Amino acid sequence: MTATPSPSPSAVPAFPTTLTDDEGTAVKLTAEPHKIVSLTPSATETLFALGVGDRVVGKVEDLSVYPPAAAAIPDVAKFGSVDVEKIVGLGTDLVIAGGNSFNPPDKIAQLRTLGVPVVVLYAPDIPTVFSDIELIGTAVGKAAEAKDLTTSMKAGFDQIQAATTALPKPRVFYELDASQKIYTAADNSFLAAMIVLAGGSPITTGSTTNFEIPLETLITKDPEIILLGDAAYGTTADIVAARPGWKVMTAVKAKAIKPVDDVIITRPGPRLVEGLRALAAAIHPDANVPSAAPEASSGAATAGPAMSPSAAP
Amino acid sequence: MATGSGALASPSLRLGSIGRARRRPLILAAAGAIALVVALVLGVGLGTVAISPLDTLAILAHRLVGLDLGRTWTPAMETIVWDLRLPRVLTSMVVGVGLAVSGATFQGLLRNPLADPYVLGTASGAALGAAIAVVIPIRATFLGFGLIHALAFVGALAAVFTVYRLSRIGGLSPLTSLLLTGYAVGSLLAAGLAMAMYLSGAALRQIFSYLLGGFDTAAWSQLGAAATLVAAGSVLILLRARTLNGLLLGEEAAVHLGVNVGRERAILLALASLVTAAAVAVSGLIGFVGLVVPHVVRLIVGPNARVVLPLAALGGAALLAFADLAARLLGEIPVGVVTAVIGAPFFLFLLRRSRSGYEL
Repeated sequence: MTATPSPSPSAVPAFPTTLTDDEGTAVKLTAEPHKIVSLTPSATETLFALGVGDRVVGKVEDLSVYPPAAAAIPDVAKFGSVDVEKIVGLGTDLVIAGGNSFNPPDKIAQLRTLGVPVVVLYAPDIPTVFSDIELIGTAVGKAAEAKDLTTSMKAGFDQIQAATTALPKPRVFYELDASQKIYTAADNSFLAAMIVLAGGSPITTGSTTNFEIPLETLITKDPEIILLGDAAYGTTADIVAARPGWKVMTAVKAKAIKPVDDVIITRPGPRLVEGLRALAAAIHPDANVPSAAPEASSGAATAGPAMSPSAAP
Repeated sequence: MATGSGALASPSLRLGSIGRARRRPLILAAAGAIALVVALVLGVGLGTVAISPLDTLAILAHRLVGLDLGRTWTPAMETIVWDLRLPRVLTSMVVGVGLAVSGATFQGLLRNPLADPYVLGTASGAALGAAIAVVIPIRATFLGFGLIHALAFVGALAAVFTVYRLSRIGGLSPLTSLLLTGYAVGSLLAAGLAMAMYLSGAALRQIFSYLLGGFDTAAWSQLGAAATLVAAGSVLILLRARTLNGLLLGEEAAVHLGVNVGRERAILLALASLVTAAAVAVSGLIGFVGLVVPHVVRLIVGPNARVVLPLAALGGAALLAFADLAARLLGEIPVGVVTAVIGAPFFLFLLRRSRSGYEL
């Protein structure tokens, strides 16, 4: 953001630099980071997509780790805990962490006290996903590559949106979890915006902070399509149809209950285009949603080599 | 220090001889001191990053006395030993001292074996303060102290003060009134805590980790402040050990011994609460230590507060230092789980051995 990207990354004297992270903290980087710790799954994916996967020395535990090469990186954090000693012991020169309490704020403060620069990212909306990828790019000396990546992602988003914009907008209920209470997209949330871009009309909770929706409200809003973001945890269309009270919904009567890959739809990283495409295909199965082929070839220049660390410079 | 302990301890403990009883506190003190040193060495030497004992020693020698042992180490190793492990071990010891001393004090003051540092609402007050600090979107830090430490400290003291003032209204005996008021105020604060947790959204985990307690974010600045308050409070309590012994005999007996019961009780309550508040502000809520360590010490050496208080301090420090080491090596599990798992069987063993005569 502060450094100006140049066409030839090797010639950029981009460091020292000071960036402002998503929490407004000024983070000073004296030299290009070479020992990076990623404390969010999306940052891990972004670092690999930018071709610096080989510089990642530690990552957060990730049950859906991507790309596969990232699986070999040692875990230095898991849900709710961060091993500060390990991060310091690795000689880490940059930590990318998640905001909105994704990583414990006291651990972030502790790392900063110990002199480890921490960039905190939190994307409440889609534009921030792009600016976060660019911020990571600036932080690791790959600003131009990051700009290329977001440009191609934005093109993919525009394509999908153009294909769905004239279509009817069915009422979509996206199930995050319904094992106890029912959780779905909050008003103006990231997920609600994704559903709108994919050509659906999201059923939301009626609040920007609450992700829980009462069953009575859900029945009243009558979803036409139910998308199972919790399919990976064993929820199926049959289970949904058998729940007491659910069979009055249009989606259940029409058997419009579909599993989706929640990771690519909700993870604010470089695969978000694939997520939007999957979402659009689930909401509009008969429409001609642009296939992955053209976008993949345009994105290959940036995303391609990063997927295999052996090809990285 | 041990004068009179034998006379008080022997009837309740079926001891072989007065001589053996006199030696017991010394043996326990020596064992406690050795345990503390071992805990310190292990705590600084072990962690998720392997650092050789010689390097650790060289770093400590360099930082403590400026001695050069002819070894080289990386800045990362120095940070781990000096800024992460050492303050963490020492913080666990300071908190252990604080909880054990205030637990012993509350048990004596309230003449209730179930009393612990949290009995008069300290825990609920601190937890509510911490939860409010997490929920309100201000991220100020001052000298290494976050809002969460400050509000936990204030919350703990405010809760006890409220309980004390409310308990003086009405006609119940002061002890019953204190305990019941503490329960009532604690319940009200717990409701507030539940509400704050419900509203906290993504920050819920932060509140939860405060409730479980731990030393994983220990730092020198916090240690300095907590150690000052805990040390000052504990010494002042120890200076009033004779009063505490008097109160243990009952209110009338204490009056006959020349104790100004109302005033002394208020002072001891204030000191014990201050020590508790300082401990919970840096560590969160760690259970079990403050309840059980004083009992264990009393079971071994008898009820004399002059002996019980310093030995409880030693025991609390050693127990928490070992418990935190275990918690750390087991992958940062909650330290309260470890204190209970280590301490509860030992406590049961001691209770079985001395079936007759143990009373507060």
